[in-house]
Amino acid sequence: MGCKLSRWMVSRTEDTGKKLPGFAGRHIGRCRACGEFVRTSVSLSSRLRDERAAWLAKVPDFPLSFEGEAEPAGTVARGLRLRPLPVAAAALVVVAAALVLFRVVPRASVPSAEDRAAARAALAELQSAPGKLRGVIGGAESSLERERRILEQSLSSAVEYLQARLNIKIERKEAPKSL
Amino acid sequence: MAENDPIAERTDEELAREARAGSRRSFEELANRYKRRLFAYLRPRLGSDQDAEDAVQDTFLKLYRNIGSYDPAYRFSTWLYTSANRLAIDSFRRGRAARTVLVSDRGGDIPDPAAAGEGEPGGSGLWDAARTLGESRFRVLWLRYGEDMTIEEIAAVLGRTQLAVRVLLHRARTGLAGKLGPAVRCAARPQPETARGAAGH
Repeated sequence: MGCKLSRWMVSRTEDTGKKLPGFAGRHIGRCRACGEFVRTSVSLSSRLRDERAAWLAKVPDFPLSFEGEAEPAGTVARGLRLRPLPVAAAALVVVAAALVLFRVVPRASVPSAEDRAAARAALAELQSAPGKLRGVIGGAESSLERERRILEQSLSSAVEYLQARLNIKIERKEAPKSL
Repeated sequence: MAENDPIAERTDEELAREARAGSRRSFEELANRYKRRLFAYLRPRLGSDQDAEDAVQDTFLKLYRNIGSYDPAYRFSTWLYTSANRLAIDSFRRGRAARTVLVSDRGGDIPDPAAAGEGEPGGSGLWDAARTLGESRFRVLWLRYGEDMTIEEIAAVLGRTQLAVRVLLHRARTGLAGKLGPAVRCAARPQPETARGAAGH
């Protein structure tokens, strides 16, 4: 047991650089075989390193082929390379989300000049008489209704803008039954 | 030739960085530096010289394709041997499966890779003696003294703890010391000569 432990301590010293414990040193001083193990162990590392080159020289040489392989890709290029499958999956998700959220109907034709003129006239009329309009409507509707109307107007304006900008027709979906 | 070629004077890490930036020549230089060392490392694990050569080729091809993932903060040899180790394990498993099929077909006359590898390459010397210690002990000896790796690096390559590596190294040293001569065997309390006696008592 003393020999085993002392030799383990010798190996530990060799690998970690820690000091050899006193009991191991005393044992090695008494035990001729363990003393021999220490000498062999210490010489092993240098002998193995020395013999390495000669031993490797005996390994038969053989060719390596990188034919048909492209130049190694640089790290920057690798980082920007898109993988087809994840990209296709992501695109599919975006399209599906768009189909669920919006219903896009191709517009039959671009609004005519007459339509635009009529719209502009209606808008001018509204702008020219805001007080009158407010007076008429304000008496009839509650503040909540007024709020809803304002929101509706903002939304309508946004829809009109989008229709004109994207040349599409956006229809209003039916209100959910719960409402 | 090497004296006139500046690429031969570059360190492994410099070459790996160049290869990472797209230089095929730098990678080929690295492959030439390491192919025999890797062969010597993998040969005891694989069944034949041909399998070992194939494993070396596969390892370098894989590294060539994935050189972008090399982190220059680490030694190239650590990265190389870690990859080689993984590939060798896969290859060994495939080979074992194939051998199982062959054995069932041919009646089981496949030679033991460890026995077949004994004494190769060369026929004498310390490294030849190390080859006979067993695959795992030879590997740690090679990484420690053949590649000058630290215990920490060896543990990373083999996927083991540092303590496990130190135990393997100790057993390898004890085994090697036992092969070098009977004088190393414990003489304080003479015991019958047994295989166990070579590793202490």
